[in-house]
Amino acid sequence: MTQSPTLSRRSASAPAQPRKSRRRGADARAGYTFLLPWLLGFIALTVGPMISSLYLSFTNYNLFDAPKWIGFDNYVSLFQDERFLQSVGVTMQYVVFGTPLKLAAALAIAMLLNSKRKGQGFYRSAFYAPSLIGASVSIAIVWKAMFGDSGPVDQGLSFFGINLGGWVGNPNMTMGMMILLTVWQFGAPMVIFLAGLKQIPADLYEAASMDGAGPVRKFMNITWPMLSPVIFFNLLMETIHAFQIFASAYIISNGEGGPAGSTLFYTLYLYLRGFSDFRMGYASAMAWLLVIVVGIITLIFFKTSKSWVHYSGDSK
Amino acid sequence: MIDRRKFLGTVALGTASAAFLAACGQSSTAGQAGSAENPVTITYTWWGNDDRAERTRKAIALFESKNPDIKVNGNFSDFAGYWQKRATEAAGGGLPDVMQWDLSYLRDYGQRNQLLDLGTVKVNTDSFDKSLLPSGQIKGKTYGIPTSTNAFAVYYDPAKLQSLGIAEPDGTWTYKEFNAFLTEVGAKGNGTLFGGTDYTGIWWNFNIWLRQNNIQAFTEDGKLGFSKDDLKKWWNLTADLRGTGAIVGEDKTTQLLPKSPFGSNVTATEVTWDNFMAGYLADSGAKELKLVPVPSDDPDNLGLFLKPSMLMVASAKTKYKDAAARFIDFMVNDPEVGQIFKTSRGVPASKTQRDGTTFEGTDKLVVDYEKSIEKYLKDAPEPPIVGFGTLESTFKRVTQDLNYGKLTVDGAVDAWFKEAEDLIKQNA
Repeated sequence: MTQSPTLSRRSASAPAQPRKSRRRGADARAGYTFLLPWLLGFIALTVGPMISSLYLSFTNYNLFDAPKWIGFDNYVSLFQDERFLQSVGVTMQYVVFGTPLKLAAALAIAMLLNSKRKGQGFYRSAFYAPSLIGASVSIAIVWKAMFGDSGPVDQGLSFFGINLGGWVGNPNMTMGMMILLTVWQFGAPMVIFLAGLKQIPADLYEAASMDGAGPVRKFMNITWPMLSPVIFFNLLMETIHAFQIFASAYIISNGEGGPAGSTLFYTLYLYLRGFSDFRMGYASAMAWLLVIVVGIITLIFFKTSKSWVHYSGDSK
Repeated sequence: MIDRRKFLGTVALGTASAAFLAACGQSSTAGQAGSAENPVTITYTWWGNDDRAERTRKAIALFESKNPDIKVNGNFSDFAGYWQKRATEAAGGGLPDVMQWDLSYLRDYGQRNQLLDLGTVKVNTDSFDKSLLPSGQIKGKTYGIPTSTNAFAVYYDPAKLQSLGIAEPDGTWTYKEFNAFLTEVGAKGNGTLFGGTDYTGIWWNFNIWLRQNNIQAFTEDGKLGFSKDDLKKWWNLTADLRGTGAIVGEDKTTQLLPKSPFGSNVTATEVTWDNFMAGYLADSGAKELKLVPVPSDDPDNLGLFLKPSMLMVASAKTKYKDAAARFIDFMVNDPEVGQIFKTSRGVPASKTQRDGTTFEGTDKLVVDYEKSIEKYLKDAPEPPIVGFGTLESTFKRVTQDLNYGKLTVDGAVDAWFKEAEDLIKQNA
């Protein structure tokens, strides 16, 4: 109970040791000096482009001619654009179903890998492996082949009498395929869960066993509350991450968001508007809308977290 | 540095052959020139597959051996990625010196002063068909020189038709007859062989149908020349065929990508450009493929035309205008370049290059097809409106949604018109 498992808490309390002020000034200078390369890059490559994209979002800009100021027109026409609304629907579906499933898989496997068993190190590496290659282009291509007509998935399901045909060309199945792809890449949250699980003192479980608590009870009353800061962290990161899905959708749909717009994710549509249709102002407006929405969702998460996330330093 | 280059350029002038004299002579005013000892390097980019890359490399090597004062740095990608790269390069002011180009994008870049007016440099167009050159021109300025031509055609595989016991078409058919033909193939193909893909999904095919009905696709001032009703009629042509064996389902087509259904032996016919011949033969492994004209309800007006299958353009900002012009001239006119590419770029547009090329086998089929439709050919289309690339891809996408049953014909027409009207307003 002495340590909080969250990274943020720990780093926040670490540098709070009193020092002489002159030393501190020199330290700060040295710190900023070391920070400088990153800071310059951050300002030149992230902040600068962000500010200019904010400006561009209020303009009509086709990459060639000078941007023309049109006020909020881009933002207004977004909501009359059926494909935009479709892309919002597709993305929300992915976030709402994909993220919890991925986290559930990550937690379940982390718990399995946390138990004491022979060869656990091997299993941990083996289960983490898909996530190392998961984000790469090659795996999306493999995925596409697997879910194609008479691909391994189709054949496997036919063996059990389920005939769905290929998933890739069927607009009703592509979302399921995309969600499976993200669930399969559970490695990163799993490793964080595993680290969190290791922080829970074993004596809590021992005491619960002596009181006659079953595995469900132990999970609900010990694991879940003790792990809640880690769950919160993973939920937040994975949700933000899910909003930004691009590469796998781009590859599976040949960069078009098809079939029938079923993989037209927000960022993919943004990209198409910007780089295929040369409507950079429109694309910038989309980008900023996404920033605002993700910001609001993050805020809601933080507000509601008070009711279910327990930090070890808390009074109760 | 520049002075030395100019000096060496002058030295090169003295030793260069008379043919180059005129080309180099402009260099003092129109850019920097190189010499054999100090060659200039121009960049060239194109889209295409490995086969085209191989042929292009050969052509570049030949050009460099004939022009020791110029080095060409080549680079290629696939068609879709190609335009995204050009867009970002143009925005950054760094387009390659010479580029392979598509008619759909000529206005986007030409009208926005990204491309060099080739009328200001020396590219020989004497041996070009005069009806073809306007395709590369906008408001009197020449931005692109066609390398080659292609025409629309119906492909079919005679072996497949024979195995189903269906007679080969002679290429004189109405849309009704063509639909009946597709339906027959579908019925006899029994779920393994389909008639074709939905031919109403291709913009250029619609354009041909408009021409058959004496309607212009775009007006002079860059607006749409046809009405919603026209488009409705067009998409209704195959309304009864969608979802039957006459047309292969969109779900199948999607899964076959990047191969086409025709190249994958899933359909018996395909309506598209005649220079896809080599690609289809390689993909399908068929022994023989044949070409016939597209259907028309007016037997005297097939609406056909020769389109530049690709153009050569130069960047407006190139530092080496003359080197760029010489490379373009070489690529479109040199007979040896024709021998290297055959019909893989289309039928060579320049008569000099065409006459210097021997066409055999499948290449001959394509050349013969273009000869056979000669009497039906009308003027090549002008460069389409700004943003046409988007309209073309929207056309295809909306037809896909039609085939998935996600849109009705009326809904599809509304969706396409909204996109088109937005775009025209945007670029007004």
